[in-house]
Amino acid sequence: MEKLLAARLHAVKVRPYLAGALFALHVVEDRSVPTMAVDAHWRCYVSPGFVARMPMEELAGVWVHEVSHLLRDHHGRGARYARQHEEYGPGERLRRNIAADFEINDDIYGDGLPQPAGVVLPSLLGLPEGLLMEEYLGRASMSGLAPDLAWLDCGSGADGQSRPWELGPDGAHGLSRQQQDAVRFRVAEGIKGRPGEAPEGWRRWADDAFQPPQPWRQLLGAAVRSAAGAPGAGENHSYRRPSRRSASVPGVVLPSLRRTPPSVCVVIDTSGSVSDAELGSALLEVAAISRAVGGRRDLVSVISCDAAAGVAVPLCRAENIELVGGGGTDLRSGFARALRSRPRPDVIVALTDGQTPWPSAPPPCRTVVGLFPRHASAVDEEDPDYVPDTPPTWARVVTIG
Amino acid sequence: MNTSTLRPAPVPTDGTPLPLPVYGSGAGTDTRLALADGLLALLRTTTTEPRPDEQLEALTLAVAADLPVLLWGEPGIGKTAALTQLAASLDLPLTTVIASVHEPSDFSGLPIVGEDPAVQGVPMAPPQWAVELVRAGRGLLFLDELSTATPAVQAALLRVVLERRVGALQLPPGVRIVAAANPRASAADGWELSPPLANRFVHLYWVHDQEVVVRGLGGVWPRAEPPRLDPELLPEAVAFSRRAVCGFLTARPTLIHRLPSTETRRGGAWPSPRSWDAALTLLAFGTAASVSREVLALLVRGAVGDGPGLELLAHLDRMDLPDPETLLADPAAAELPERGDLRQAALEAVVAVVGARPERERWEAGWAVLVRALETGTADLLVAPATALASLRRDDWEVPESMDRLAGVIGLALRADRSVERVAAAAGRTAGTRR
Repeated sequence: MEKLLAARLHAVKVRPYLAGALFALHVVEDRSVPTMAVDAHWRCYVSPGFVARMPMEELAGVWVHEVSHLLRDHHGRGARYARQHEEYGPGERLRRNIAADFEINDDIYGDGLPQPAGVVLPSLLGLPEGLLMEEYLGRASMSGLAPDLAWLDCGSGADGQSRPWELGPDGAHGLSRQQQDAVRFRVAEGIKGRPGEAPEGWRRWADDAFQPPQPWRQLLGAAVRSAAGAPGAGENHSYRRPSRRSASVPGVVLPSLRRTPPSVCVVIDTSGSVSDAELGSALLEVAAISRAVGGRRDLVSVISCDAAAGVAVPLCRAENIELVGGGGTDLRSGFARALRSRPRPDVIVALTDGQTPWPSAPPPCRTVVGLFPRHASAVDEEDPDYVPDTPPTWARVVTIG
Repeated sequence: MNTSTLRPAPVPTDGTPLPLPVYGSGAGTDTRLALADGLLALLRTTTTEPRPDEQLEALTLAVAADLPVLLWGEPGIGKTAALTQLAASLDLPLTTVIASVHEPSDFSGLPIVGEDPAVQGVPMAPPQWAVELVRAGRGLLFLDELSTATPAVQAALLRVVLERRVGALQLPPGVRIVAAANPRASAADGWELSPPLANRFVHLYWVHDQEVVVRGLGGVWPRAEPPRLDPELLPEAVAFSRRAVCGFLTARPTLIHRLPSTETRRGGAWPSPRSWDAALTLLAFGTAASVSREVLALLVRGAVGDGPGLELLAHLDRMDLPDPETLLADPAAAELPERGDLRQAALEAVVAVVGARPERERWEAGWAVLVRALETGTADLLVAPATALASLRRDDWEVPESMDRLAGVIGLALRADRSVERVAAAAGRTAGTRR
């Protein structure tokens, strides 16, 4: 027991941002547990024999590993996955456990936690690192690993399936769902507050922990829809003409539903840094959305823009449009061109990777920016201080991809 | 017809089925239809059972607190069924208005041109459902399909939801408002909710529970119990929730007002003085009804958003910690929280108050609290507070006897330190060989 607690202190010392979560775990000693396991109520089951044979440094790593299962909500996600794919049974449980371990193990070791010899890594199956549990499950059958790893069991905390030794929801010292959320939230806030200390994987987790990332198609759709539907454009109620209902209610003035088809202008960043596949999918999406909000196809135009803007091409030709360009970007010329085009656009949708200067003043129409995220921003060798501007606040920004 | 006013059907609660219709014995199509009716009546005979259901409890509490509720849920998930249940259990007539098929004037009033508009003005006539609701004096107004209403209808709804005015009519205080919307993922042609409208609602996310659905289709649905407010708790509940919210916002003033900035958060709950006021009300109701923290969490997060809501709940957790001065006053009887992280927070608070007014007796009492913690829990939690307390020592203070009992704690810390050093040394060796 003492060794186990000293190992927890070791883990707290090298991963201070996980301290709250590590201390929130309630330790239960149980000889029937194969190694060390957690349940969905933040209890940690430990086999005394396992603790005795593990070196203390590696035991600290096990602590961090087990608490990661809980912080990353592997029990909830595992149970959801099982329900969605109707995959139950011991083999499937093991598969989920292995995939969850893949998600954890690729970035928790090092920096004070030695990587144990037999650790389960995605490279065992030739899979890339940094994926989520669900992605690993979808990509590989893992049946090749199963016989070797049948001993592996991180408890219901890892896959959402209860075990005979677990105390269950009514047992003592469990954390309720809201308490778990509160602990996870505090750990996430701690990581966000001092991002320098935590590795990339944990920072990403902290960003997404309480805001599940939404598919960009829906976000872009909602943004374009609400931009096109804002007063002055799109479908809305209007008193400009009386409603047809007025005839049946004499003396009452009713508004009618007027449709002013919004004209949408898509400015596409065709500089070398945006790939054709990215552009193609985003452009098709915008076209589909503008059709859905009632735009006629001739009211959707496309401008390809690198350092200089091209001509606005109506969308009816744009589906086979050849996007010309390459090299640097200056979206300002694209905006200027879009505003000069007739009919004047109600909405400008800019698809870009953001490595561009932006207009200094908001354009006189709604603006939606579809942003292709670029990780570690490319450093300009001639001007190391150059930082591309972030999209301006007057635009609604949707991150694509 | 898209509005309806109906009295809830009496729901049998004791498990006995409704009296069955007598099947016709005549001949021809009448009999066949009567038989079909009989089958339908049998199918519709369901009973209810009291069943702990957090989302239903949260909905009932928010409705009781007279705050507008917005139910988010996939189509067909049983939002309307839950509302019917709720109306029955609160004994309120249910008025359903499908917002998306209405025009703005149905909510802001229909302008009627009279004889001499310059003298008499143009009255804004309310629609029939509003007149009936006012005449009844009480009821549950259910605004369905809110997210597919056009922006102009949403703007008109602002007044209905907040000021409870429909045209020239004022809805009586006995009317409660609940709305429903489909999340953006499933609303194919929906508008999103504008931030001002979103801020007026308590957002509850409606998900189906497999067990509830299966049991319900088997004939037994869960029953919403109206919250039981304890009359003796009322003043205490108000004082508690005021203290909690005010204390929290004093510490985190940036959370008082924060418009949703990212695209993913639009259309949901966000913190503003108005929604904090709602959170305060909900906290008071929840305390007076002694609901669980889970239900409270659903409500608070639904009012001010996930982040600020969770922070407020964490603040409540800290308020639950024992007072450090009480612990110092009687260390032997100290009751420390069971949960490790909270226990450590309580011990650190003790060390902090000793540090704020360092006196020898207080310092020694601090050690006694740590000994008490060692007797009732794990030792590793004590390392950080013990180190901090030891550093407060003055030269003329003698080491209290109780410190001997904490020797194990020091040993534990040393073991951990050695282990960290071993890893660092090993890492240094491998780095050295690589170089």
